[in-house]
Formats: sequence, structure tokens, C-alpha cells
Amino acid sequence: MMLIIESLKLALTSIKMNKLRSFLTMLGMIIGISSVISIVSIGDTMRGVISKEYESFGKNRISIYIYNSDEGYSDVFSFEEIEKIQEAFPDDINYIGPSTGISGEIINKNQKNKCNINGLSPNYQNIQNFKIIYGRNLSENDINAGKKYVLLQNTSSSKLFGTEDGTGKIITVESNGTIEEYLVVGIYENTQSTFQKLFAGNSDTHTLYAPARAFSSEDSAFFNIDLNINDTTDKELFKSRVASLIGRMKNVEPQHVRVYAASDEMSTIDDMMSKLSLAVGAIAAISLIVGGIGIMNIMLVSVTERTREIGIRKALGARTSDILLQFLIESAIISAAGGIIGTILGAGTILLGGLLINIPVVIKPTVILTAVSFSALVGIFFGLYPAKKAASKDPIAALRYE
Amino acid sequence: MKDIIKINDLYKTYKNGNIEVKALRGINLTIKEGEFVAIMGQSGSGKSTLMNIIGCLDKPTSGNYELDGKTVVGLSEEMLSYTRNQKIGFVFQAFNLIPRNSALKNVELPMVYAKKPAEYRKERATKLLETVGLGERIDHLPNELSGGQKQRVAIARALANEPPIILADEPTGNLDTAASVEIMELFTKLNKEGRTVIIVTHEDDIAEFTNRIIRFRDGQIIYDGQVDHS
Repeated sequence: MMLIIESLKLALTSIKMNKLRSFLTMLGMIIGISSVISIVSIGDTMRGVISKEYESFGKNRISIYIYNSDEGYSDVFSFEEIEKIQEAFPDDINYIGPSTGISGEIINKNQKNKCNINGLSPNYQNIQNFKIIYGRNLSENDINAGKKYVLLQNTSSSKLFGTEDGTGKIITVESNGTIEEYLVVGIYENTQSTFQKLFAGNSDTHTLYAPARAFSSEDSAFFNIDLNINDTTDKELFKSRVASLIGRMKNVEPQHVRVYAASDEMSTIDDMMSKLSLAVGAIAAISLIVGGIGIMNIMLVSVTERTREIGIRKALGARTSDILLQFLIESAIISAAGGIIGTILGAGTILLGGLLINIPVVIKPTVILTAVSFSALVGIFFGLYPAKKAASKDPIAALRYE
Repeated sequence: MKDIIKINDLYKTYKNGNIEVKALRGINLTIKEGEFVAIMGQSGSGKSTLMNIIGCLDKPTSGNYELDGKTVVGLSEEMLSYTRNQKIGFVFQAFNLIPRNSALKNVELPMVYAKKPAEYRKERATKLLETVGLGERIDHLPNELSGGQKQRVAIARALANEPPIILADEPTGNLDTAASVEIMELFTKLNKEGRTVIIVTHEDDIAEFTNRIIRFRDGQIIYDGQVDHS
């Protein structure tokens, strides 16, 4: 144990004596480790962002439509049928409604602004929780009566009315040639991250929310049903049960009732992403081997340079194992120090990047631990041959070495 | 006084390709505790080979060697390292200090391999450097010291584990006359304190400091006699 401490001190002195050389030797490890850490962390961060994206869509959210790909026909749902589905699963469904909306233009002081109005059904808070900063949410009553009320985003309100608080204002929307007026009852705050905005695309289009019945009538037909199930419900079982119910209801084969959960796709993407980041990480790990060879090279030079020192140490009582340990520790330290610097560099870059585009980065401690211990292992592995060469030197010849 | 070194019928043969070099041919030698011995001879006479064998750096081809009452022939590498560490204090012609270590660290080195605790090492190394007159220079690096001072550090290092034998190979070979005399006086003092000192040299005036001269030629002892200091 004491000799290990002495060897550590020795290694540090010899690294200090050759600062530039030690740094250049470490460089391979620094680059290797920092690229492994950044690549793996970018992968983990992407996975985190994507799974968040799915979660904001709703991990229990299910979309249903009917499509027979053999005959190429689809079918539609009415409000009445949607209600029947809800009544069949009162304990499982916490939101159900047609997936509906209109696109059009807001006419505002001779200006036209593109807009999408999404239709909401009762209990919409279960799938979309608006952060209302002015006014109020749409009430159960508003939804059921199909009132022409809308929720407007705070940024849209600023653009349209010059004030964030646009409650009480009237919005005129032209869609499919008809003009309708809507009353703004609430302003919700935009909670999207920069990253989400990046994907949201053209922000000139205003997104509004209104009761689905505000622009649909009792006999409207919908291609898609949007529903949300409780956490406790078995998703797979529910999917097959709802498919067979709709099959009976609409007289179609259950396999043509498409029941699609976002989480299905998410696990596929997640799996793909983790494989991808593993593959790219493995390629980056090759640079660690290159770094290791660099360490071996320098250690061999160092062993030759210090032949006489090895002879002196042996004459003074150093055992073969003492010399072996001394050189092994030295290469392990160079390598691990490179690994630590590389970790700081890699993690720092990722954190900074995350800060700049405002997304929460994921840097797993296991990745750092693996990278640093792997770098020390590389150092020991590639240091073994030079250390053995040093330890096996004949003391008489080594003492004569000039 | 007990026998510290006992060598019986010792042979050493080197094989250099097909040529056999007989470096030592049947050496018989006994050195008692407290002796001050000079081993002399031309280069190639076998004195360095004997020196390496006495110092447990080399192994004889045949014959027996007892050091401090224990047979050294046939010991494992690890035991030889231990023996060097505990029984022998080396002093070399080229000083052989570790250049990036201070005088203090150099003196501590044999104690590191003897697994002595750091505080003890520092205390003892400081004391030893004071003994050889370098109390003021314990933190100097070897290249900041003169030849004579370097050799004093080396002597302090040789004393670190209190070995029964000081083995000096041409200790004054790289020194001027004044420094040589100082170093030899230091060895004389150490011998007077009871230590066994063996010096390999080819200079007669250096050998004159000792009490016993052993001359080598062609791998054999040709002279072994006391020095008359009167």
C-alpha cells in the first residue's frame, strides 16, 4: 500500500517534469473520451427530448381510425358513436373526442393571419393542461353547448391586439368561405422549449382552442377519434377491446380498426436511438485505442530514458514488481488524467450546447464512470508492455547505461 | 569478529557468443566484520565481477558465497532484492543519484523499498545528510551539487538501512584529488565507527587509506595483505 502511494507520488513528479510531453500523450485520451461522452450524451439527450415530446402528446393517448388497406376505404364516426364508445369503457377512458379542427385566417384590421382552431371535447384537461394566465379555461358547459369561445396564446394576443391580455376581444375567422366570430375567454402561456419551437415550424400560424361543437354540428362526421386512457388501464387489452367494439358498431373487421398509441412508436424510436448512439459511441471508442497506443509509445521512450534510474532502484532494493508497479501507475495516471480532462471537456461542451439551445441535456453518471475507468484500463493495458520491459532490465547493464 | 563475507571456490564464466570468458577462477576470500578492504586490479581482472557478485547484482557460475552468515547462491530474485536492500550499501563511481529527486529523496529511496514510514524516512535521511556534512543542502537536486557533494549524498544513501557492508566501486574515480581525500576520510571515519567498508579501486594512493589490499589478475587473487600505516 505504501509503495503504491510512493509510486503515485513518483508518477506525478515524472508527469510534472515532462509537462508538454505528458499533455501531448494525454491528448489522445482527451479527444477520445470527450468525443465518446459528447456522442453518447447527445444520443441520450435526443432520447430525452423525444420521449418528452411524446409525453407532452400523452403517453396514454390513443388515436383511432378505420382504414381497410385492401379495399382502400375508410369510415367515419359521429358524436353519437363517440359517446357510445365512452359509455362502453367508463373506467378506462378519461377523455374522448373527435380529432377535429379548422384552418383559416384571422381577419384583423385589414390584415389576415393564418390560424388553426383545434376542437376540444369534455375533460380536455386530461390531455392538454393549459397554463391560463388571463381569463379562464373553457368550461364543461361551454364545450357541451358548443359556444364560440376560444383560448388564445399570449404571444398571439400580443401580435393581434398589442396586449397579452386579449380576453373579451372578438376574433373574426374566415374558413372555407364562411366567416365566424369567436370570443376570447382565456389566454394561455406558450410553454414550448426552444427545441420544440424549432420543430413547430412557422410560428406565424396562430393556434387557438375552441369547443369541438363550436364548428361541428350533431351530424358531423370525423375520421379520427382522440382518446386518453387511465394509467391503470392495460393498454394492449384496451386496444383490442375497443377495436372489437368499434368493429361490431361499424360492421368492419376489427383488424381494420386502427388503434394507435404514441407510446408504441416511442419505444421503437427509443430502441433505435439507443442502438445508434451505442454504435457511434463504439466508433468513437476506437480513438481511445489510438490514444492508448500513444501512451504505450511514450512509456517505451520513458523506460529507455530511465534505464539507469531503473538500475539504481534495483541496486537499492527495488523488486521487479516494484518497478512494474511504478511504470504501470504512471501510464494509468496519464491515461486517467486524460480521461478526466476529456470528461470535463465533453460534458462541458454538451452542457454549454444545451444551455445555448435551451434543452435539458442528459449526461448519465454511468457514462462518465465508464469512460474514466475505461481510460484507466487502457492506460494499464497499454502500459503493461513498457512496464514489463522496465521491470525485466538487468541491473548491471542498466547501471552502465549512458 | 565474525565473518561477514565468506567466498569459497567461486567461478564466473560469461558466454559471449561462442567465446567463453572466465572472469573469476576459483576465488577464496573471507572478510571479517569491521574490516576496511581495497580490491585492486586492472580492468578485466575480475574485480568488478566479484564486486557485482558480492553486491548480489550477479550470480556466480559455481562456488559458494555467504553474506552475513547466510548463503546467497540460489536465492530468488525477490530475496536478492531484499538482501541488496538490507545488507549492502552501494556507492558508485558515477554517483548514480536519481536526477529529478532532491538529495533528501535520494537518501530516502532505500528506506522506501524497505517500507519504512514517511516520517521516519525523512528524519533519518536528514540526520544522515547532516552526518556527511550536507545538512544545508538536503533540498538540492543532484545537478546543483559538486562531485564531492554528490558522492556524500550517495554515501548517506548507502547508510540509510544500516547495512553491514558498504560496497564502493571506484568511489573517487570521478573526483579531483581534494574531493577524493575528503571522501576517503569519510570512509575511514565510517570504518572507525565499526562499519565494514569494501572499496574497488585501481589507484594505489586510494588503496593506502584502507587496512587490507586484495589484488586481482586474470580472475584470480594474486595478493592479499595488510596495509602498514606506520
